[in-house]
Amino acid sequence: MKYMIAMFGSAEEMGNTQKPEWISEMIQFMIALDGRLRDSGEMVYNEGLADPSQAKVVRLQNGQPVATDGPYAEAKESVIGFWVVDVASEERAIELGGEIAVWSGAVELRPVPSGPPAEFL
Amino acid sequence: MTPERRVVDLLRELAPQVVGTLARRYGDWADAEDATQEALLAASTQWSDDGVPDHPKAWLTTVASRRLIDSVRSENARRHREATAAALEIDTAVSVDDDSLTLLYLCCHPALSQPSQLALTLRAVGGLTTAEIARAFLVPESTMAQRISRAKQQVRAASLRFELPSEAESGARLAVVLQVLYLIFNEGYTPGSRSVAQGADLTDEAIRITRMLRASLPADGEVAGLLALMLLTDARRPARELDDGMLVPLAEQDRSLWNQSFIAEGVRLLTSVLGAGRVGPYQLQAAIAALHDEAKSPDDTDWPQILALYTVLEHVAPGPVVTLNRAVAVAMVDGPLAGLALLGTIATEPGIASSHRFDAVRGHFLELAGERDAAIEAYGAAIRGPASSAEQRYLALKVARLGVVRCHPDE
Repeated sequence: MKYMIAMFGSAEEMGNTQKPEWISEMIQFMIALDGRLRDSGEMVYNEGLADPSQAKVVRLQNGQPVATDGPYAEAKESVIGFWVVDVASEERAIELGGEIAVWSGAVELRPVPSGPPAEFL
Repeated sequence: MTPERRVVDLLRELAPQVVGTLARRYGDWADAEDATQEALLAASTQWSDDGVPDHPKAWLTTVASRRLIDSVRSENARRHREATAAALEIDTAVSVDDDSLTLLYLCCHPALSQPSQLALTLRAVGGLTTAEIARAFLVPESTMAQRISRAKQQVRAASLRFELPSEAESGARLAVVLQVLYLIFNEGYTPGSRSVAQGADLTDEAIRITRMLRASLPADGEVAGLLALMLLTDARRPARELDDGMLVPLAEQDRSLWNQSFIAEGVRLLTSVLGAGRVGPYQLQAAIAALHDEAKSPDDTDWPQILALYTVLEHVAPGPVVTLNRAVAVAMVDGPLAGLALLGTIATEPGIASSHRFDAVRGHFLELAGERDAAIEAYGAAIRGPASSAEQRYLALKVARLGVVRCHPDE
């Protein structure tokens, strides 16, 4: 079963509110987590994103794409990184989400459905 | 070395030679490359099980020729027999080096997009399988297969022929080849979302192909310069990452872990070409890397000499990254205020002000100058730039350290 685990926040806010030791441990946790997920074969894909202030929103105006600068949401509600994992069960996905939430507050867990059953096609 | 590893090394070495032989014999090098890839895949399983045949290159050439001919429906049986017989003869008319060079020029043809150039070079010249290339670039195999097939379409659309560029063209074409090889190297050396160990495949391949290129063009100073730059940079790889995956900046690395044989080879290469002709950007960057490698400790680094080299590099190959690096050398020689003054002169240049590295370097100088609040603001600006998540976290750590100092000056 595939799940996307999305993490929210901003590194700048973290720098201004957390102690250096906490940030060092967080960095080590993230590196170790990625290594564990790769070794176990559960990692499908993961990326960290640029700061939310780099975000652009694209809308159509008179049929033409128009990009506006600036964050779409508050910094602490913006996606800053995500993993797509392929795990045995929802329990495992929740377990991983819990490990990440220790460092990032809440994470969003979203199933990636693998297509409709054959009889509906 | 395991038997499997020996087979892989042999296949990678023979790959461009087989593509070259088939391309000269049958004309279409894109088809020749596809057929060679199939022969390599067949060999990698068969040779690992049954051992390497007596004439591995002839084996590969024969199998690849059959695949090529099978894939061309209009071929009749007569031509098939002739071609198979011809493939068994060992080619001596054209040197192996020339074929590899021709292939490298084609894979790095300016008509191809950059992702196509990188993927084709690794497959046709490097002899890597699509799956291996996909793993190295952290993309699904189907994505890489599609990228290679699109590259092949570009090759056919541009009617690229299997021949060396004309003398008039060769300088500009070689510059693209060097750029592609350096990009492959940097893709492996710059960790991004992969670990340093994972990137090793790409740096090893880039070095191997550049060695091959140097065998073809032994008199070219920039080819030697690029090879030296790669060796002198890759020499530090064993010290770049701790066991837990944390990156270690140059100044904090355990220098006893550096690869001394790479350093010696890089310095030897560089010495053999410096002063022998026009000094190009790769030789200059290699000379700077050599000065770092030869310093016993960070304090031992010859910064005045590094600054002089960056000044020359800025004339030869101007660009914002070079200027930023020169500013770092200026700060190391004349102090952070001199570094800040230089940054001030380039702050309004396009491409510089929006770069997060500019703000990160500015923050570092401000921190060295004791300007804590301004340093925190500069690091914050760097985080808000297009920094990778690893850079963001590293910068956040700097902000937090300065914050601790600001709030609790006695700690």
